[in-house]
Amino acid sequence: MKRTVANWILWILMLTVLIGMLLPLWWMLFGAFSESFDSGSLWKNLSGYSITLDNFKSILSVKNFGRSIINSAIVGTAVTAGNAIFCLMVGYAFARYRFIGKKLLFITVAGVLMIPVHIIIIPLFLLINKLGWYDTYAALIVPFLVNPLGILLLAQYIRELPVDLEEAARIDGAGELRILFSIVMPMCKPVLAVLAVQIFMTNWNAFLMPFILTSSDSMRTLPVMLALLQGYQQINWPQLFAASTISVIPVILVFLVFQKRIVSGIVAGALKS
Amino acid sequence: MNRMTGRKSVTFAFLLPWLITLSLFWLYPLLHSLYLSFTDYELLSSTTEFIGLQNYIRLFGDPTFLEALKNTAIFVIGTIPFTTVIALGLALLVNRKIPGAQIFRSGYFVPSITSLVVMALIFTNLYSKGGYLTMLCDFAGLPTPDRGFLLSETTALPAIMAMDIWIACGYYMLLFLAGLKSIPEEQYEAAELDGASSWDKFWRITLPQLRPIALYIILINTIKSFQVFVEVFVMTKGGPLNSTLTAVYFVYDRGLHKFNMGYASAAAYVLFLIIMLFALVQMRVFKVGRSTAE
Repeated sequence: MKRTVANWILWILMLTVLIGMLLPLWWMLFGAFSESFDSGSLWKNLSGYSITLDNFKSILSVKNFGRSIINSAIVGTAVTAGNAIFCLMVGYAFARYRFIGKKLLFITVAGVLMIPVHIIIIPLFLLINKLGWYDTYAALIVPFLVNPLGILLLAQYIRELPVDLEEAARIDGAGELRILFSIVMPMCKPVLAVLAVQIFMTNWNAFLMPFILTSSDSMRTLPVMLALLQGYQQINWPQLFAASTISVIPVILVFLVFQKRIVSGIVAGALKS
Repeated sequence: MNRMTGRKSVTFAFLLPWLITLSLFWLYPLLHSLYLSFTDYELLSSTTEFIGLQNYIRLFGDPTFLEALKNTAIFVIGTIPFTTVIALGLALLVNRKIPGAQIFRSGYFVPSITSLVVMALIFTNLYSKGGYLTMLCDFAGLPTPDRGFLLSETTALPAIMAMDIWIACGYYMLLFLAGLKSIPEEQYEAAELDGASSWDKFWRITLPQLRPIALYIILINTIKSFQVFVEVFVMTKGGPLNSTLTAVYFVYDRGLHKFNMGYASAAAYVLFLIIMLFALVQMRVFKVGRSTAE
């Protein structure tokens, strides 16, 4: 009896925390769909609340805002696809081939994860300029095509796969590239899905790198656009919340659909490094 | 023989994406910024001179940089204990067999997958004058700054820290949860036979078993927290009066805003060394902890 009461108290505590955790996001949605949003008066907001899409219409008519959504989608897709292919290749080489300096090279993969990004932003900015990529898609995509965490995930996964199929194909005279893409890749589908979801979400939310590697409004990604919208003039909160909603919705949807994979990716990534 | 060389070139081709990324986008920048830190390089200047340690000497006499280091230290020390303890508490709560555990788990995690820019924007609104957190404090009879939390020197940094704890604890909860799941059930059963209370079980089994994951969590959170930037950029731009100026914001501002790249690189390296030092110390502790446990 005492135990159930304690359980109920804990349960209510957890519910309170949950509400506290989600309240700011609710506030964003509330503002985004509100017809007459007033960030200073909750009662006025609640009593006269009516849902409207006007804030979305007005933010989408802001110059280059739509473009920033498209940019984020293009960059996210390209980086995700690139990582799937390249991490598979590199991970396979680490898992299956023997070569000089393998151990050292593998250490660099894990070591790079420890490097704080702030140390490379200035030289990377200079390098991207020197390559003539500044303010182009290349700057937003190429440096991020091979994620070290992806290599670790793939190498680990492939190491645990049986080699028989690969050996059989090799005896039949199949080339390495064909073995990789027609035999290994299908077997790696689960881990590739984990990787893809992880990379896409990280990229979709990324701010620092896209911010320093672009300058024109038409090359901005969605998070950068959001941060800069706020700096421009008098803040239009309902409009800004509508823009935020557009940025958050895909992530929440992906999370709801791929929850298990996201969680296992994060945990695996953490335990591996 | 032919097959061997063929195999070698395939290996090289497969490794090439990493070799390029590693050398071009990691090692070269790492060395280049070290070189820059010994020069007076500015983006628009025509000549660059090697000036030895002058940037470093100047940094330690630069009150703005010292302020940035101080703020960063406050941020790190003031967030990590709270984040870790709250994350552990949440993990213990959602690890029990209760109705809706899965929903709680997902819900707590949602803030940490949401874009940091969006979170910072929402909190800018909540913290502003007339915003809800300000009103809530008024309602509870707590003193609130006249112009909102983010425009007051004394409250701006703590406000950002509170938000960060709130965002991050769900993420670390998940890692703790993975640690909890890996503790063998038999240990608890054995303890129960010995008549241990749940309090005993927590202190004698759960906590010691979670030690590696806890140290790992503190390590990655330290590295991450030393680099706090996005929140500051969106919410305060380092103000008011540099009270939220952090080390990475200083690097960004001097290097990519004012283009004093030599000077900014030196600042970046100072921070880098501090982070590495912390990481090494923590890894030592981690190793010691493991060998005594064995």
